[in-house]
Amino acid sequence: MHINLNFKQKVYRRNSGLLNTLHLDGWLLLGILLLIISSSLIVFSASSGNVAVLERHLIRVGFSFILLLAFAQIPPNIISFYTPWIFGIGMLMLISVLLFGEVGKGAKRWLDFGFTRFQPSELMKLALPLMVAWLYAHGTFPPSKSKIFSGLALVIITAGLIIVQPDLGTSILIAMSGLFVIFFAGLSWKWILAAISLVSASLPIVWNFYMYAYQKQRVMTFLNPESDPLGSGYHIIQSKIAIGSGGIDGKGYMGSTQAHLDFLPESTTDFIFSVLAEEFGLIGVLLLLLLYTLIIARGLYIASQAHDNFSKLVAASLTMTLFVYVFVNIGMVSGILPVVGLPLPLLSYGGSSLVTLMVSFGILMSIHTHKKLLKT
Amino acid sequence: MSFKHQQQPLALLHEQKSLFRSRLYFALGFVILLFIMLIGRMIYLQVNNFQHYHAMSEGNRISVEIIPPVRGRIYDRNNVVIADNRPVFVLKFVKNDIKNINNTLFHLKKTLPSIPDKVLKKFFNKLKLANKFRPLYLPFSLNEKEAAHFSVTSYQFPGITLTAKLKRYYPFGKSAVHALGYVGKINQRELKNLDLKSYQGTEVIGKLGVEKQYESLLHGYPGIQQVETNAKGRVIRKLETLAAIPGQDIQLTIDIELQKYIEQLVKGQKASVVVIKPKSGEILAYVSEPGYDPNLFIDGISQKNYNTLLKDAGRPLVNRVLNGQYPPASTVKPFIALAALEHNTIPFYKKIKDPGYFEFKGHKYRDWKKWGHGEVDMEDAITQSCDTYFYKLGLDLGIKKIHNSLYPFGFGHTTGIDLSGESRGILPSKKWKRATKGKSWFKGDTIIAAIGQGYFLATPLQLAKATATLANRGKIIQPHLLKEHLKNNENRHNSNPIAKKQTQIEIQKIRNWNRIINAMGKVMKGPHGTARAAGRKLQYPMAGKTGTSQVYSIGKEASYDAKSVRKNLRDHSLFIGFAPINNPEIAISVVIENAEIKAAPVAVAITNYYLNKIKHHEP
Repeated sequence: MHINLNFKQKVYRRNSGLLNTLHLDGWLLLGILLLIISSSLIVFSASSGNVAVLERHLIRVGFSFILLLAFAQIPPNIISFYTPWIFGIGMLMLISVLLFGEVGKGAKRWLDFGFTRFQPSELMKLALPLMVAWLYAHGTFPPSKSKIFSGLALVIITAGLIIVQPDLGTSILIAMSGLFVIFFAGLSWKWILAAISLVSASLPIVWNFYMYAYQKQRVMTFLNPESDPLGSGYHIIQSKIAIGSGGIDGKGYMGSTQAHLDFLPESTTDFIFSVLAEEFGLIGVLLLLLLYTLIIARGLYIASQAHDNFSKLVAASLTMTLFVYVFVNIGMVSGILPVVGLPLPLLSYGGSSLVTLMVSFGILMSIHTHKKLLKT
Repeated sequence: MSFKHQQQPLALLHEQKSLFRSRLYFALGFVILLFIMLIGRMIYLQVNNFQHYHAMSEGNRISVEIIPPVRGRIYDRNNVVIADNRPVFVLKFVKNDIKNINNTLFHLKKTLPSIPDKVLKKFFNKLKLANKFRPLYLPFSLNEKEAAHFSVTSYQFPGITLTAKLKRYYPFGKSAVHALGYVGKINQRELKNLDLKSYQGTEVIGKLGVEKQYESLLHGYPGIQQVETNAKGRVIRKLETLAAIPGQDIQLTIDIELQKYIEQLVKGQKASVVVIKPKSGEILAYVSEPGYDPNLFIDGISQKNYNTLLKDAGRPLVNRVLNGQYPPASTVKPFIALAALEHNTIPFYKKIKDPGYFEFKGHKYRDWKKWGHGEVDMEDAITQSCDTYFYKLGLDLGIKKIHNSLYPFGFGHTTGIDLSGESRGILPSKKWKRATKGKSWFKGDTIIAAIGQGYFLATPLQLAKATATLANRGKIIQPHLLKEHLKNNENRHNSNPIAKKQTQIEIQKIRNWNRIINAMGKVMKGPHGTARAAGRKLQYPMAGKTGTSQVYSIGKEASYDAKSVRKNLRDHSLFIGFAPINNPEIAISVVIENAEIKAAPVAVAITNYYLNKIKHHEP
């Protein structure tokens, strides 16, 4: 702990000046920039050298980076102040999606504002953990039973509204971001174990009564992709071929035959990891995981250094949410988790998830750089 | 609890901080643990199973297309193509690109109504089970008009492309079909005995005739093309090509012009004609009339067409040259006479009185001439075809000598022609009768065997071979169809090895041979010669012998329609001959079943045609 403090001071000294004025965190920024550079290179390769795709990607990256800068300037207490409002708006949007949402790929997920289409569940990825953190910000850790239940209620209602869209994958991930807050607030292990056993026990019921055919199909395919090699198992088989054929040192940049010959589905978005693994092999994969570890460790460090409960809980849960996204995506494309439509954070071709992600990095940086100002 | 809310003691604050901190450590440990799990998974995929996935990736990328070899063409002796390969238009289906198979085929039928429903239905079932990316060909060839019509509307048929394929084609249709044979779809039984590697991508195989006999020369060996394909099976680029080894072209001894000429002569008859070069055994014409169109068989003959061929009273599918076994009748007389001379059974000029019959043990063996030929010697007996003379001669000679003398000419055993399924005919003997009939031999059997009746049976091919052997003065040749095979037009003189197998019949006195041959010359030219009418126009000295065998249709009588047998009660007309006498260029056997025309004039026309028109064009 002592060493950590010294380390922090060193970093501050080195980065004092521009980074400090802009409320940016050097280590986080370094990790993000390295990932964005890799992302641009691989998106370019995965799109078979399509310059237009790269341009659009860079524009989106630039736009979301501006959002990161903007959110880094907002002190955590202001964010905390507006949290109930943001959450309220998010809930209204989720309800309106169910009422007048646009149908895409068999599910209602989008709201059309005329000039842009928006997925309210994206907003909830941030709003839910912020809201639960806001709930627990005042008071002791671990929170009281009533607070735990109200936190759980928030999680269940939000996730429920997304499940009925239907979007099981996203709802689970959003629920997790809320549950992380409860976990970091100090929910006792007894409760955690009880909850885990309850969920496992209810799985067969969910399977039989609440899951859609395509969701069941995904799970079945995950359990045995080779059972339907040209049907729904095709994506996973082709993805595993891409990863495995990369070997230790890969086929080289622009060398992904699986992507270039269209065997790999969604090669610029959900399956971008497979392209990286095919072109750069195990070495590339290790470097990528190292970068993610750097970012996650830094995020958890920021949480440990935060001064108020709201900041602590938000920083820790946003970081862990990022981790879950990384793990679920890589687990999915390498065939150890079922297929859920989910991009790999910071590496996939930019979409609305990139915006959410950059905003959460902005909040993390704000938490880290504004505590000095709060300190007296 | 409520007071704590106001002011948290320092110890509690510290406790809270360490609780949060422990949760952070737990989270970090969790992250690292799961990342290690992912790394383990990556090592499993990228290191342990690298070879497997590498191979699968290459298999994805590279697909091997088999290039079937081009079947060797078959030429006649003058380099006229008689079995060719012609490009035909076919439709290639890639299932993956077809949205709705049922609708597509329905629509296709509307666009190309000539495709039979049966073919489409069968193909539909095949397509349903097929691999998504492997192309399938509709077993139906489009003509040029249909192909043009399809290409105009092809935008309506994603997944179906028009491609050209080489298909066997017999430009002369029925001509020489029994020698040439045909190719047809490989069936299950053939598949079992094939080298599957060399037949990958090949659809047809020689079924009959030369096409079957020389399958190994004609077929060739397939090539391989490696192509890079995308996920839709579309070829992105060609990687490596191992060219197919085309089948060898072969040249037959057949002269297709002569063949067609003969077929024209015997058109409408049930006939067989074999024309052979006595010096080499090369078969110039191989006529079995009526014939059938081999082109019908290539894509698999329809049941309707096949039934028509089967029910045809002319029995076109029967290879009469090879399998038609006829009593040779009087055509054996020169051979019997020669045997008698060589065995000193009777002097050449010894005269015998013919009252119109030969009486033996109270049984009268009738001559074809009721009132008899009067006093005849051997020469008269041959030119006038006197049966009485030969009844007596046969009896004097005995069946053993007849058998042993006629056997070397090729009677009673296969000629060894390069076609499979040849019939042996019957050259009767005591041993043969006991073995097959279980009865002992009677002298009466010998008497009728001497005029080529009774048990005696020979195929037209055997008659031609015997005639050629006689023309050669005892040099036995092997009849054959393969002249030489052309290795890509090099090594043109790779002559048929079986043509070299030649032996000589032991000759006692060459004078005996010449006397018989001269007597056969008088058959054509003599004042009483049985073929003098046909021989009148001859410009060459020609040897010949006529024969008439009483009604006896080939094949088993059981399979014959009783009505058609009664209609066809006429005698068979036979003829053997060769010309010119002293330097034989051509030997012929003609058999016309239930003859409406005589065999001798046919043979004379052939000889004239060949010696006048063709011989002068040959180098």
